Amino acid sequence: MYDFHNIALAPAESLLLNAAILSVIVFALLKAERRLDEGSGWIMLALLAVFAFAGRILFEPLPNIQPVTLIVLLAGIYLGSPRAFALAGVVALSTNVLVLGHGPWTLFQVIGWGAVGCSGALLADRLLIEGELQLNRVAALAFVSGFAFNWIVSSSILLKTDPAMLAPYLLNGLLYDLYHAVGNLVFAAWMATPIGDILLRHSIAPTSETVSEIVTN
Amino acid sequence: MNQPSGSMSDKLRTASILVLVALVFLAPAIRDAISEESAKYVNDSESAHDGLPSEWNDEQVICVLFPDDFPHSIYSSGVTMIDADGSAIGVNENYNVTGACVGGFSGYSDGMEFMLDATRVAGGHLAVGYEVGDWGPYVHTIGGLNDAEVTGDFSGAYWELHHNGEMSWLGIGDVILSEGDVILWRIGTW
Repeated sequence: MYDFHNIALAPAESLLLNAAILSVIVFALLKAERRLDEGSGWIMLALLAVFAFAGRILFEPLPNIQPVTLIVLLAGIYLGSPRAFALAGVVALSTNVLVLGHGPWTLFQVIGWGAVGCSGALLADRLLIEGELQLNRVAALAFVSGFAFNWIVSSSILLKTDPAMLAPYLLNGLLYDLYHAVGNLVFAAWMATPIGDILLRHSIAPTSETVSEIVTN
Repeated sequence: MNQPSGSMSDKLRTASILVLVALVFLAPAIRDAISEESAKYVNDSESAHDGLPSEWNDEQVICVLFPDDFPHSIYSSGVTMIDADGSAIGVNENYNVTGACVGGFSGYSDGMEFMLDATRVAGGHLAVGYEVGDWGPYVHTIGGLNDAEVTGDFSGAYWELHHNGEMSWLGIGDVILSEGDVILWRIGTW
């Protein structure tokens, strides 16, 4: 009788709806995490991927505001570069292929987010001191990462265009760079500590990894 | 858990929201400033007038070119030149493209306003279909050709905007025109 799928939502309404859906997902993931044993780094990586996937798609109504950058950064800090890079690849590919549109830019997004994850891993000693996340530093890095990611992705135009066009191209994207950077700041301020606390329980310290490798070998 | 930095993170939370709200309020002003700054990178219009009637040299012009496989119903041979008053000036057959140009305008600065006014001169033959999204107006149809209908050996097609001979990084809704500027639309593919 009624076509409920046909209800046209205003942007603000659909954003509220998406925020509600995301809250359900976060709640479910938090519940799921409590049942995990400590050191379940791989499962946490999968849960982060689900959260980042859902977050990127559900925040789509907002220009360039999405939690993926912060999540990849945290993955880099707690789980290391390789895992953060893999997470970046899975999230970029799955969201683009399934929903947002896949093309050459996906590769640049993977590289961009991968680089963000690596920067987190490289600076992990200064961002995570004795198990305590240095929130202000993480927030600052997240803010800068917004610009870095966008510029890496924007550089893909060099494949088809004269380098002289890069400056006006980057200039044009400045507002969207700002959206990304400020969005990262907000996500870092509100989510970095809770996600970090969870990841700490599952972080795979380099030493324990070497030990386990020796054991399995 | 004992968190000595608790009040610090509270400050950061409040600050981050304030910064976000400030950005949302400042966005239109930032966008305008960027558009104006970008206009400086737009090429000089002189060479963009090559092949156009010389009486349009310092006037604003809009051209629409159609792909070979999807020609316009009327402007299917050469490029038809239409003056601002609606009279046909002639057809330029020297180019390997087909379509129409409408020229002889001055005083426009808003790209979208110019496009709608100028194409109207062609009496519906260059009618523009567009949607307004988050990123401004998206032109999907010109002169009866919807970009979604253009298929071939590529993933997709769109109406590509050129401003004084260079691909425009701005949408037509953000383009700021100077006197003598030439706007050109043709089908691009990806």
